[in-house]
Amino acid sequence: MRSFLSYLIPLLFLVFDVFASDYHEQLNLKPLPQSSLLASFNFRSNTTLTQFAAHNFRYFPRSLGQILQHVGTRELHLRFSLGRWDAESWGARPWDGTKEGGTGVELWAWLEADTEEEADHKWLTLTNALSGLFCASLNFIDETRTTRPVMSFRPEGDHGPAIDRMHLLHGVLPHEIVCTENLTPFLKLLPCKGKAGISSLLDGHKLFDATWQSMAIDIRPLCPPGQECVLQIEQTIDMVLDIERSKRPRAGEEWSLDQLFGKYLKGTCPLTDPDVPPVCIQVPERRDIFSTGGAVEIKNPNGLSRCYQISPERDFSMILPRMPRDGDNPKTTADEHVQPGTPLLYAERSFTGHGQERGGVQSILTNPSPDTEVEFVYMESLPWFMRVYLHTLKARVEGTSGAKDDLIEEIYYRPALDRARGTQLELRMRVPPASTVFLTYDFEKSVLRYTEYPPDANRGFDVAASIITILPSTSPNAPPTLQKTSNLRTTSLLLSLPTPDFSMPYNVIIFTSTAIALAFGGLYNILVRRFVGADEGPEEVGGLRGKIALLVAKLKSVTKGKVD
Amino acid sequence: MSSSTIRSRKDASAPSEAEATTTATGPERDATVTKPNGPESATTTTTVTKPKSKFKPPPPEQDSHIFRRSLIIASFWLLVLCLGIPIWWKTTSIYRASLPLNQMMDWANGKACSPVFPIRIAIEAPDLNGQEAQSITSITQYALDTMPDFPGHRLRLEAAPPTPSEGTSPSNGHDDNALVVRLTPGDAATSAPVSSTHSHVPVLEITYPPSMRPTAETTSSGLATYIAAQLRDTFAEEQAITSYFLATSTISSDQHTGIDEPLAKRMTRSMKYSGTYHLTFSLFTSGSTPSSWDIDSAIDQYMRPVLDLLQPIHNFTIDTQVQLYAVPGVQSQSLTKEDLASFINAAEWPLSPSIGGAPTLNFVIFVGDQTIGLNSEEGTSRSWLAPQWGSVYLLSPPTTSHVSSEFLKQPILTFASHLLSLLGTPQSGSLPMRLSTLARVRSVDMLLRASSSLGSLARLSLALPSISIPSSVADGVAKSIHHLELACSKLGSTESLEHARIAETEAEQAFFEKSMVGQLYFPDEHKVAVYLPLLGPVGVPLVMGLLTEFKAWKARRQLKAKTS
Repeated sequence: MRSFLSYLIPLLFLVFDVFASDYHEQLNLKPLPQSSLLASFNFRSNTTLTQFAAHNFRYFPRSLGQILQHVGTRELHLRFSLGRWDAESWGARPWDGTKEGGTGVELWAWLEADTEEEADHKWLTLTNALSGLFCASLNFIDETRTTRPVMSFRPEGDHGPAIDRMHLLHGVLPHEIVCTENLTPFLKLLPCKGKAGISSLLDGHKLFDATWQSMAIDIRPLCPPGQECVLQIEQTIDMVLDIERSKRPRAGEEWSLDQLFGKYLKGTCPLTDPDVPPVCIQVPERRDIFSTGGAVEIKNPNGLSRCYQISPERDFSMILPRMPRDGDNPKTTADEHVQPGTPLLYAERSFTGHGQERGGVQSILTNPSPDTEVEFVYMESLPWFMRVYLHTLKARVEGTSGAKDDLIEEIYYRPALDRARGTQLELRMRVPPASTVFLTYDFEKSVLRYTEYPPDANRGFDVAASIITILPSTSPNAPPTLQKTSNLRTTSLLLSLPTPDFSMPYNVIIFTSTAIALAFGGLYNILVRRFVGADEGPEEVGGLRGKIALLVAKLKSVTKGKVD
Repeated sequence: MSSSTIRSRKDASAPSEAEATTTATGPERDATVTKPNGPESATTTTTVTKPKSKFKPPPPEQDSHIFRRSLIIASFWLLVLCLGIPIWWKTTSIYRASLPLNQMMDWANGKACSPVFPIRIAIEAPDLNGQEAQSITSITQYALDTMPDFPGHRLRLEAAPPTPSEGTSPSNGHDDNALVVRLTPGDAATSAPVSSTHSHVPVLEITYPPSMRPTAETTSSGLATYIAAQLRDTFAEEQAITSYFLATSTISSDQHTGIDEPLAKRMTRSMKYSGTYHLTFSLFTSGSTPSSWDIDSAIDQYMRPVLDLLQPIHNFTIDTQVQLYAVPGVQSQSLTKEDLASFINAAEWPLSPSIGGAPTLNFVIFVGDQTIGLNSEEGTSRSWLAPQWGSVYLLSPPTTSHVSSEFLKQPILTFASHLLSLLGTPQSGSLPMRLSTLARVRSVDMLLRASSSLGSLARLSLALPSISIPSSVADGVAKSIHHLELACSKLGSTESLEHARIAETEAEQAFFEKSMVGQLYFPDEHKVAVYLPLLGPVGVPLVMGLLTEFKAWKARRQLKAKTS
């Protein structure tokens, strides 16, 4: 837990800095076990609401600002994610999981509207506009993929009285594959556009080669006390790089920033506050780090992180050499990296059952803490073709003796309508200390219409990740990580539905046509033909033999005639 | 009865039996018995084979049976032709709403409305009495009407009612007067009439020498000719623009063949008409400075007056942005004419069009020390105009990182004049005159565009018989024609412009209806091919049945004729 605190310290430092400058950026590096490196890029710009309303864009991107104004969006969160955060070995998530989404694309926003229909209409415009801006298929977030979460999300900004007119809408595209074409528009939104500052490290090849990555955009209005209200856009990129893989073809334990990212950090972005160090790394004090010239190392007094003030004009890189295990100054593994913090909750989800008709979902939620209970909201947004049997929903606890049975405290359930909307299931529940909860329910797979199958129907259908929002603890002596909301998401699932043979329609046409034609032909022939006795018809010359005999007879008669 | 004892045969398919039947039955027996005969084929071969036959001839068929069989075949065919085929055709055919094609073609050919409208001009002569004023008016009108090569415009002169309080309200006699000609007598020193225009009110001041003072009796006067010539000069540009639109539209007109080259260039440069335009002012710089500008006050000072004048015709929304690290498409120091086209780096500069339908005009200030080569004709040495897109101004880098509004004066004034030419405003005359001309010219333009869209749609629906026409298209066409009629009836007024605009949007929407395109590649052959497995097997017995029945009937008739 102490190490987790240390991770928070730069964050707290940032929180104080939020309003000092109009633009802020920082790169946080954190070596993880198993030769991985977490790189968190954070960019934040502010614009006053008056300037925003006057359409004067300076640090806030105009392209996005126009969209927000056009559809009356008060707060917006957009996530592009890829891969899986390995909580078992990497520990707690960066930003407490608040800046990551489920695999694919996730979008939620608070829109200002008088009625639900108006909100839906604006949501449609918003998703279409964002789809064009970010080159993602966000326009496929239709009503079947849109939910209105009740318990899981709370606005982060200061909205004042407008909050009564705000509608929260949430949409997920689990099938969307995040790639370079999404990074380019993301970088274009930045004032320094990847040309200077920490964003100059970002490159599609490295980012999407990462083991896990998440790009986030958060837009919220903030009203600091005694100051003018501002609209803040915060862009975050978190990635976990496999060091061995990223620095190929070089081998060895030593690594440097330019080897991992393929390029040097090109100075600083001139719009930032020069007092804020742009690069920080969380390593134990005894870890050796060499940096390029012109950089000043600032060690954090707690001995778990250090920051670098770099020269505005010069390229920057740092080298983490191999640590000598013996000799004058032997180092241990504990000196290599800070021990990652334990997450509040482990969650995994999988399908159970077999066959093409029924299935089940099992979520395993483990609370590793020996003494603290975790209360959270578990939200599932399932596609309509997965018909949930809510009566089969069961929560079973294992671990602590004497655990109570009423693990689920509150259920919000909005059943699916075929082709109109998906299932929305929100559960407020608790996991007792040092125990595991098994949450299971069954569902039925429905058969889709012919045109509803995607071209790769046999691949299966993606089911969006379930979102777990850990609620801040009410008890005063709870650990600091439990004092604010944190998130985590399970992986998305691949559901295989019964798929038909897609040449079926033509087969059906031919088959029915043949059957009809057969019936018709028989009936018609019986009706129009005349039946006579067997001995009254023409001479029956059956088969090939008869025909040949006839031919021979004919020939004979002809030759005979000639001879005559 | 077992099937082996029954031998079915078609009635007419037993030529070999012919002799036997004819011999067995007397010729006086009726046609039913002899019907199966193939009279010619029966004679040659049967002599050899038949004597050995152990078959006896089938019993004669009854008249009623033959009649019933014909009835069956007829009813089958009746059912297929009157019910089957129509139902099949109807259920598989493409929906085509009926369009008023003749009306549409009339509009497209300019038969429904001729876009020539009267322009009312008031003649104010405070020093002349009513009769004298009337006289000079009618003489001038005559002079105008007899003027060669000045068709199209109908300049309608009328004497303004003598205003009692002369000089206080000089220009607003009638609101729909395009121009007021004010005649004032000069002193004795003036020998020839002198004219002058006001720059802010649509008034043409003419000072005439006392010798030319018109009287009530004169039938021709030098003053009248002078006024006519002045008016002609004033409206020459409007005339030219209208002719240009007529010539470029689908309405064929022989008298407008010679298009003025510079005028055509100017007109292709201008934007398509819209009620609202979105203006984007962008400050681009290839480095990190300047990063802020005083654009708000600069626009208010230098741009706002022009926008206010354009208010009756167009609305404007404005946004501004600052973009650092924006690299132009051409890096060379001195830009040639060819470079200007690729200078705007469309791939990287965030100049996306605004959301919401209004066309966007871009005004880009690029901070850099590039210059434009002097051989360029398109702009001055610092700025150029990109047709139908906007304009670019190269600003030499300021010393500070903030650009003051004083520094922006020249660029914004250049943009204001570029805006006028992008909107297609005529170049000569006083500003109010130019704007009223703009309104008239634009309504003609819209009218012609809407008409030509309707014509294209009519031709399209005639050329592609398998294209589907949804009812929304028919609605759009009806609305468009309705608004065209309204616009035509009030030609020259501001409502006319509005109606013409609606008509144009409706016509465009109807033409670009999405669902029309999807059906393009589903022709009738495809339909037949899909249903061939049914149509073939059902059709063959039907046709064969009909053919044999027809043959039999023919044979019966021949026999009857022979016997009778």
